[in-house]
Amino acid sequence: MKRRQFIKGSLAIGATATFGGMTGCGPTSTEPQTPIPFKPGEPVPWVNWAGNQSCLPKWRHAPASEDELVEVLKSATGNVRAVGSGHSFSAVVPTNDTLISMDLLSGLVRHESDSLQATLLAGTRLNACGPILDSIGQALPNMPDMDYPSLGGALATSVHATGVDFKSMSGYIKGLKLATITGDLIECSQTQNPEIFQAAKTHVGSLGVITEFTLQNQKPFDITEVNRVENLEYVFENMENLCEQNRHFECFLIPYSSECITVSTNIAKPGDTNEGNDDPQAVNTLRSVFEATSWIPFVGEDLYSFALSKALAAEAATIRTGSSYKVFPHSRIVRFREMEYTVPAELGVACGREILETIKKKELPMSFPIEFRYVKADDVWLSMFEGQDGCSISIHQYGDLDYKKVFAEIEPIFWKYGGRPHWGKIHTMKAPELAKLYSRHWQDFHEIRRSLDPQGKFMNAHLREIFGA
Amino acid sequence: MIYSNKINSRLRALPWVVALLLSLISTASAQPNERQMQLFANNCLQCHAAPHIDAPQLGNSEDWQDIIDQGEELILKHVVEGIAGMPPLGYCSACDEQDLRQLIYLMTGMPDSSKQPGESL
Repeated sequence: MKRRQFIKGSLAIGATATFGGMTGCGPTSTEPQTPIPFKPGEPVPWVNWAGNQSCLPKWRHAPASEDELVEVLKSATGNVRAVGSGHSFSAVVPTNDTLISMDLLSGLVRHESDSLQATLLAGTRLNACGPILDSIGQALPNMPDMDYPSLGGALATSVHATGVDFKSMSGYIKGLKLATITGDLIECSQTQNPEIFQAAKTHVGSLGVITEFTLQNQKPFDITEVNRVENLEYVFENMENLCEQNRHFECFLIPYSSECITVSTNIAKPGDTNEGNDDPQAVNTLRSVFEATSWIPFVGEDLYSFALSKALAAEAATIRTGSSYKVFPHSRIVRFREMEYTVPAELGVACGREILETIKKKELPMSFPIEFRYVKADDVWLSMFEGQDGCSISIHQYGDLDYKKVFAEIEPIFWKYGGRPHWGKIHTMKAPELAKLYSRHWQDFHEIRRSLDPQGKFMNAHLREIFGA
Repeated sequence: MIYSNKINSRLRALPWVVALLLSLISTASAQPNERQMQLFANNCLQCHAAPHIDAPQLGNSEDWQDIIDQGEELILKHVVEGIAGMPPLGYCSACDEQDLRQLIYLMTGMPDSSKQPGESL
């Protein structure tokens, strides 16, 4: 039996046979995803991937060149926001004034074979980066576990993957070009406008619109990813070794279970072959089993935990191998909402333990696995990893369930451990608290921001809250 | 060695996609412009040219028949609002209603409702 077959296999069959009819929405749900009903002929709303952010912008633009973008910015009315793929969960995009889609500013600009650097337009989706870079003998050193975001969105929010030797994606920027609200195009690097460069590498879209990034890459490489079920206590106890022994290591904590799923990824060896299949619907079936058992008075939680343990114990590893850009990402077709905080790396396990204990103690209705990753420190002013190695812990809730109550129970745990929220994910922190978490460069960043956008045209309601402008 | 490149879309990175799109356009009623073609490639093909995620696949008419039977207006509503595994707008923040209609024709092969029967494409 393969990794996620347990959910589709014995566990699901057993549970639904016993508690058939008690399950929630199945994987084939046809419920609309949007908070804004649409009628043909009326204005098309903007809605994010998760369906928890939306707006009705008066002006929508999709510039196909830098020149077009500059003209849009110079004549923009009201609040201006740029959007890539719309994969952020936080309200970084909504504006009822001017929305600029970067979809048409996509692709390779130039590359340098000696230094293995490539310049890509900011609207390029991560899933297009792989084949484009491969065709010029380059590859991103690391990639997130899903590849729908655009480069512009990912780098504006310090999107990251996992691996103690790898920084967030923003840590690999060697140069960028920033279009300001006045229509200036500013080239930035360590030697050209270095202070703007440090600010712009993670700017949450507050400085202007970045048109292109130059990234430090490496030669193409193959990797092998091994997914296996392991005892959670063993993993927590050996976390440091597991992270050091693997090029990339992460785990998925399963609420109410003493087991977890680990993902170890390394350079492929001769003879590595695929085993098993990735099942993007697995979390829906996990939810069905949770809902079928957890409601039962007195024994529901124990029954769920018991069923999970039995089913997971029979699991064998699932292996995926191939080009890095094909193996790093996974499909994400189950709608969810996500909160993520990065705590200092050495506090990650303690924080993870407290989260699981809290879920159990407060009987929170959560079955979606919790993602647990490590990222190397960088020097990007507003990166979650600025000045410290980080452990990023991601809490998910299904898209049609209320996330606010369960996130509210867990968020204070992150604060206790000095967690920094992911800029693109759900959190409730405001400028005063964030300023303390980024004390080294908070003022530096905002001086740059005010100098480039003195009228605050890039500040929507959410950015005014988190930046205090 | 520095190389400059004018490649600005996924279309150039995936030659097979170009070939497939050209063959579809020659037989479908869709008349997408270059901008819409790029939106199609950047957004729609992420899932509709990825057989492993159970989304209806481009070029597989069997996958689309039940959807076509729902009619253009309902399909459009579902595209904007998102449905099942498909996110709102099908990821396309740049798309207006006319863009989305063209992409629907291109994807499903259904006729352009604004054209009269027999009208030249």
